[in-house]
Amino acid sequence: MQRGKAAVSVEVKQVIAALCKLLAATGLHAVPAPETFRRAKFGGEVEVEDQLWQLLTDIFHTTSSVSSAASTQLKEASEHRKLVAAGLWQSGYHADWMYVREGGEGAEEGGCSSRDLLLALGWLLAMGTLEKLLTQRVQQLDRTLLTPTPVDPHISHEVQLDSASLRRLQWLIGCLRHQGRTMLSMQEERAGLLHALFSASLPSSASSSSDQSSAVLREDCARMRELCDLLEAYLNWKQVEKVFWTWMDSVVDCHLKEPVVGRPTHRANRKAAVCHHGNRGLERLEDMLLTLPTLQKGQRRGRRDAEDRGERGAYRARLHTERPVRQPRRGRGSGRAVGFSGCTDASSHRGQAAGEEGQAETG
Amino acid sequence: MSVVTVQLGQCGNQVGHQLFDVICSDAHEAQRIYSCSSCERFFYRSRQGELVARAVMIDMEAKVINQSLTKAAKSGRWKYGDTSYFSQKQGSGNNWANGYCVHGPRHREVVEELVRREVERCDRLAGLMAMMSVAGGTGSGVGTYVTQCLRDIYPKSFILNHLTWPYGTGEVIVQNYNSVLTLAHLYQLSDAILVHENDTVHRICSQLLNIKHISFSDVNTVIAQQLGSVLQPALTADSHGVYSRNPLGELVSALACHPEYKLLSVSSIPQMPSSSIAYSTFSWPGLLKHLRQMLISNAKMEEGIDWQVRPLAGSERTRSLTGPSFNTSLANLLILRGKDVYSAETGSFEDPALYTSWLSSGEAFTLWKSPVPFNKYEKSATLVSNSQALLKPLDNMVGKAWNMFASRAYIHQYIKFGISEEDFLDSFTSLEQVISSYSQLC
Repeated sequence: MQRGKAAVSVEVKQVIAALCKLLAATGLHAVPAPETFRRAKFGGEVEVEDQLWQLLTDIFHTTSSVSSAASTQLKEASEHRKLVAAGLWQSGYHADWMYVREGGEGAEEGGCSSRDLLLALGWLLAMGTLEKLLTQRVQQLDRTLLTPTPVDPHISHEVQLDSASLRRLQWLIGCLRHQGRTMLSMQEERAGLLHALFSASLPSSASSSSDQSSAVLREDCARMRELCDLLEAYLNWKQVEKVFWTWMDSVVDCHLKEPVVGRPTHRANRKAAVCHHGNRGLERLEDMLLTLPTLQKGQRRGRRDAEDRGERGAYRARLHTERPVRQPRRGRGSGRAVGFSGCTDASSHRGQAAGEEGQAETG
Repeated sequence: MSVVTVQLGQCGNQVGHQLFDVICSDAHEAQRIYSCSSCERFFYRSRQGELVARAVMIDMEAKVINQSLTKAAKSGRWKYGDTSYFSQKQGSGNNWANGYCVHGPRHREVVEELVRREVERCDRLAGLMAMMSVAGGTGSGVGTYVTQCLRDIYPKSFILNHLTWPYGTGEVIVQNYNSVLTLAHLYQLSDAILVHENDTVHRICSQLLNIKHISFSDVNTVIAQQLGSVLQPALTADSHGVYSRNPLGELVSALACHPEYKLLSVSSIPQMPSSSIAYSTFSWPGLLKHLRQMLISNAKMEEGIDWQVRPLAGSERTRSLTGPSFNTSLANLLILRGKDVYSAETGSFEDPALYTSWLSSGEAFTLWKSPVPFNKYEKSATLVSNSQALLKPLDNMVGKAWNMFASRAYIHQYIKFGISEEDFLDSFTSLEQVISSYSQLC
């Protein structure tokens, strides 16, 4: 049993090493050692945390997937964290530590553990960040590739299923197939010509007369070698990926079993599927609600604190239930819109609630 | 980009030879860029500097191949490859089954090797063009079998079949059987099927070209000239100001993207005896007006056009009152060659009323142009059309074959080579589907 466990952990370490190798091959600079991952699983120290922060920052910086002004100025550590939080938010990930405000209760303790960051990294990998990094790097390395110009496919959602539009669709599919064939033959021709070019320039590069061409060729060769290494690293990773995800599961288990101490307790029981995007507004609301009873307390002195607390609890419960659930696989914009509409709903509820309270007051 | 032509059977070899002759003499007289572009498509240069056709000749009898070889060599301008032909001593006896089930499989390797050699000679293969008739045994039967092999070996290449349809009052008693079997099989294999009807071409020879004693050679020349005007270099929308390098791909993409509609017909204008050309003047508006009326009234010649046929307005069409005489198109490709080609106004071909309701005229109409005159005409226009034009002859052909099949006439001749009644029925079914698809085109 024990032996088996040891064997498994050795295997996991190799798998993580494969991942690290791949990450490094995609051109990331801040790739930590495999050991860091293991330590992060058990909520490692500040040092581990820092390394993961750097890795995440590097990923977002390299993929430049964060459309935020923050990505341009990365001076301070807090800026890095903002970038990572924004990047994770935009990739659809949400965890409580991302919403800790500066100077707030959580900020003093760093807000999150290294395990949180590891989970966030796992999310990014599962969302296809690796492939994104890979594609980007391949395009940098392989200059013979025809890079497709990004097209925004405009697909109408009102698909009509009458025979005329089906026929039209069949025609368009045929058209696409023909264009695909044409493109393929173009690429074949291009490959053929490149081959002819390379084989013509190879012997000449051996002679000293064409230093320039041989320098270019050397660079090309180096790039090709790098490209091969990259693709090989990806292949290796793909073969053992399963083990990594099993291990990641164990990280999630760890996370669920022993929540990291020192976090604000009232957040601990939130469901993961809850939308936090509109939370700036909600939090402000909550803060207002928190201050409201004090104000009221100031206004009406005879009231007992327990009653206030009870009311406050009720409002919060209401806010929690009204909080909109984020729909999976929605566009970023619409997700935000849902969040905001949720906010307005909540505020109107709050208004209502305040009204009711007012009535209760008078009664 | 080069096209490899596969000439099959007597008809395919004669038309193919004629086509190369037309193309070579056209390119010979033109300016350098056009000429180079044309030669790259259809010829390569041998070590001795001769132009050699990118073609493979296949027949079960040696006679026609030898004639074509000799004639080409005699022309002094071009020739066939010394070893790019294959022939046997015994023909297919006008029996599709004999060609498809016996001769085809027996000589598969040799034929494939010949084609592969030609394909490997191309820097880039634009596609394969198989030329044959549908009436006989070798062209139709071996031709179908070879097309099938080509489709297997080159699944990503464009394959165009050029078919010559027999005279209605036939040369061969079982020509309708052969035609039905060929068409039904090719419909699954080919990307587009370009059809010339002997009857139509014969009428062009007699009425427009004033030929008294019409020979096969006259008929083949007309076919080759029409084909040449389609396949010679032209400026297309995708070619960005230079001659298009992908003739077959662009032809197929313009006309035959839908798997149920693959039948293309060709008509061109003007067509007249060369002695009259000197006394004629051409204007683009006049030529295009005639050509458009030829299209919608389904006339293959300027002679005897029905000027009464008009496209109906949108509201009338929905009531499906499109008269039987109106020829609805799925897609059209107009090729203009000659002087002042850039001033030609082609808006009348973009009228949505000409086309089926489910395809916009922008998608359905394609225009190619070339400032180089073709075939001695100062200005000429050729229209390749995927329309109902072939519906009637196809229906006649299938009808006649079905009548024979109903009385099981000559069926045993096919069964003995391995084609069952079930195969016949499958072929009838698939052609009925084609007929129904084209009938519903409105």
